[in-house]
Amino acid sequence: MSYGGTIGQALVMEAVSKRYPGTLAVDRVDLDVNAGEVHALMGENGAGKSTLMKILSGAFNDYSGLIRIGGQTVTLHSPSEAKEHGVGMVHQELSLARPLSIAENVLAGRLPANRWGLIQRKALFDEARRWLEYVGLALDPRQAVGEISPHEAQLVEIAKVLSNKPCILVLDEPTSSLSREETARLFDIIRDLKRRGLAIIYISHHLPEVFEIADRVTVLRDGRNTGTLSIEEATPRKLVQMMAGQTIDEFYAARHPEIGDTVLRAVRLTRYGYFHDVSFALRRGETLGLAGLSGSGRTELARSLCGLDPVHYGTVSLRDGIIEPGDYARSVSKGLVYLTEDRKADGLFLRLPVSQNLVAALTARHATLGVCRPDKDSAVAHRLFTALHIVAPSLEADTGTLSGGNQQKVLLAKWLATKPHVLLLDEPTRGVDVTAKRQIHEAIMTLTGQGTAVLLISSDLPELVGMSDRVLVMRQGRLIGEMEREELSEEAVLLAANGHYAFRAPDAAASNAGRGAVRTTASGQEGEHS
Amino acid sequence: MNAQTTLPSPRSAARAVLETAGIYAVAAALLVAGALVSPDFLTAENLLSILSGVALLGIVACGMAFVTYSGNMADLSLPATMAFSGIIAVASLSLGLVPALLLGMLAGLAIGAMNGLVVGKLNANPILWTLAVAFFMEGFMRFTWSNNQLYPEIEPGTPGAAFIGMFRMRAGPVPLIVLVMIALFAVAHFVMTRTRFGRESRLAGSSRAAARSSGIRVSRVVFFNFLAAAFAASVAGIFLTSMNKLGVFYLGQGYDFKAVTAVVIGGVMLSGGRGHIPGVFGGVLVIGLLTNILTFLGITAFRQNIVTGLVFIGVVGFQQYQLRARGKDYA
Repeated sequence: MSYGGTIGQALVMEAVSKRYPGTLAVDRVDLDVNAGEVHALMGENGAGKSTLMKILSGAFNDYSGLIRIGGQTVTLHSPSEAKEHGVGMVHQELSLARPLSIAENVLAGRLPANRWGLIQRKALFDEARRWLEYVGLALDPRQAVGEISPHEAQLVEIAKVLSNKPCILVLDEPTSSLSREETARLFDIIRDLKRRGLAIIYISHHLPEVFEIADRVTVLRDGRNTGTLSIEEATPRKLVQMMAGQTIDEFYAARHPEIGDTVLRAVRLTRYGYFHDVSFALRRGETLGLAGLSGSGRTELARSLCGLDPVHYGTVSLRDGIIEPGDYARSVSKGLVYLTEDRKADGLFLRLPVSQNLVAALTARHATLGVCRPDKDSAVAHRLFTALHIVAPSLEADTGTLSGGNQQKVLLAKWLATKPHVLLLDEPTRGVDVTAKRQIHEAIMTLTGQGTAVLLISSDLPELVGMSDRVLVMRQGRLIGEMEREELSEEAVLLAANGHYAFRAPDAAASNAGRGAVRTTASGQEGEHS
Repeated sequence: MNAQTTLPSPRSAARAVLETAGIYAVAAALLVAGALVSPDFLTAENLLSILSGVALLGIVACGMAFVTYSGNMADLSLPATMAFSGIIAVASLSLGLVPALLLGMLAGLAIGAMNGLVVGKLNANPILWTLAVAFFMEGFMRFTWSNNQLYPEIEPGTPGAAFIGMFRMRAGPVPLIVLVMIALFAVAHFVMTRTRFGRESRLAGSSRAAARSSGIRVSRVVFFNFLAAAFAASVAGIFLTSMNKLGVFYLGQGYDFKAVTAVVIGGVMLSGGRGHIPGVFGGVLVIGLLTNILTFLGITAFRQNIVTGLVFIGVVGFQQYQLRARGKDYA
């Protein structure tokens, strides 16, 4: 029955430390995980979670402290040693080879071969199919990984790690790209693995998930263990206090947006295969949420709105002018900008200093006859660096060396620098710690206070509900409805995004929006509350 | 982490000095080594001959640096561009010296514009595309001029004689070509550090996707980078033709690799977005000093190529090692 072969303490880490040049990233951390236990590991970005897990997966040969696996003292100085001792790690960033088949990815490194060294394709696909079924994927294992969606790839990654039969499984933010159903499926898998005696370390920023799946929680802050609680003793407030060292208050409630005239209007906007017949209006000072599951076309809509991606039908107008489709540089100069959901792929210049990232969108504006104005650049960079509380050794530090939360602040600051009329935000706080998230939210509120209109795409429901004045719901490429601030709740948005909700007709919603700040009676009609 | 954490905000010039100090240290070491090799080495005459010996390479490298800096690795069609602009200049000498020079420049710029358009707009792989253009241009020039060399008239007073005299012109003891090189380096340094175009080239070189999504017209930036490279190559090509007193398809051969070597040992990363023109100048000097010392040692040109190749391999290897040490975001 026992999968990893251990009962009791599967993993013990005692006084484990890891020093990077200049910082002690992990400072004498003790952690123990039992077989058959889900142990959540929480903490803000930069708290040392990922470094601690990197130690466990054999990424360093210079950590100090003691690690015991299954009662035996081990040294984990290389990834292969970690693998031999049964550590399996599912990283947040996927490590799949996109051109290869799912089966080859799942069984990478131990492809079934005959004695001539040729791959036995049938055995390969059969075994891969078993692992796919186990994680609830009905995919053909011969398909290339490049052709499947990101959330399917996440599950393939999990299948890949499980196929190594680990006794300690580390999951780093495994649900960040999963839908609700897929998350539920993943939790079923985790419960099954738990029954089989695996020790599971679950890293997450999502409190509800932790309360749903974990048996115990350990919180790290500034590289130190600030405590381990059983899930019965833990409360959200307590955990957040342990993570942030301060209480969170209801700062969303303090929003008093002054909403003005329409600044952005989309009419019957269509990009075949992605979104269809989308019409809506966005007003000055307004924060308009865009809810929907991953794959609903939210990101594609935003990218087409601003001209990064093509439009097949329909128009976008900003104030009084029509936005040329496919000319993003012009949209930026007119004040319609898009904050990308993937800061590493097309958001930041990771190899350049923070200062240059902050003014990257101002090259045209800060030039007189083609010659730069370093004085203007430097003034803007200093102002934003302070205003957003960016934590970095200096303005000249390479952006890639910053923590995720601070990188995200740099990305937002790049657009704040342009003083846009309309800011399209795509997952502005994904994978960001509590403090950075709050600072980002404050910056957005300041911006809307100055009259900027914001379109907010977010899978983070508390964020979407807390920040938005109105929410449009998108499903399978169409706008299926709209909710006003009073009707907003996490449950209502979730149900709507899943299509379990009756709405006003989207056309009516669009025309209401166009009429300005005056709210119609529609919100009170025919049982719209769940 | 960054070494300059305590500095408030070092200007690009300060950074340039820090990052290019290495190559000048190498140049200084070579000066010492040269002095030990021969008493004739550290004479004004020899040093000036080193400078004029690398002037053409310097001009080409100066343009190549823009292509590398903007993340397009290298323009391998620069030798063909050099030869072509030289041939066209010689072929149009009957129109007078100035029109001939202008037409020669235009011919070279046309190749650069085509490269810029194809790589910038159509996203062709810069190495493969410019390699193909080099191959095509060689065939085109051989076919058009039936494998012949083009000789300008050399009667005194003719445009041809003036053309040939260009390479041999001096301002006092300093050859014109050295002054042209220094002027181009100065302009290139200004463009790269102080202009919008230079700034956008760096952003595009660091991450093309991020530059595009920052509202920069990347295809336009790439276009002008190739145009800059072709401009420099045309200038060098015309001087090279003037030096050889003839225009022919193979004239620029070898300048592609040598220019990339100068650019890369000067600290411009092949992956784009990093480096400085003063470093490239240092790289050119190092190549010039090295060649000169090897000549003093009696090592022939072919064996000098072996040394240049080894230096390139060593430097690229070292850069990659440094990048890997900085972590995955740099590799």
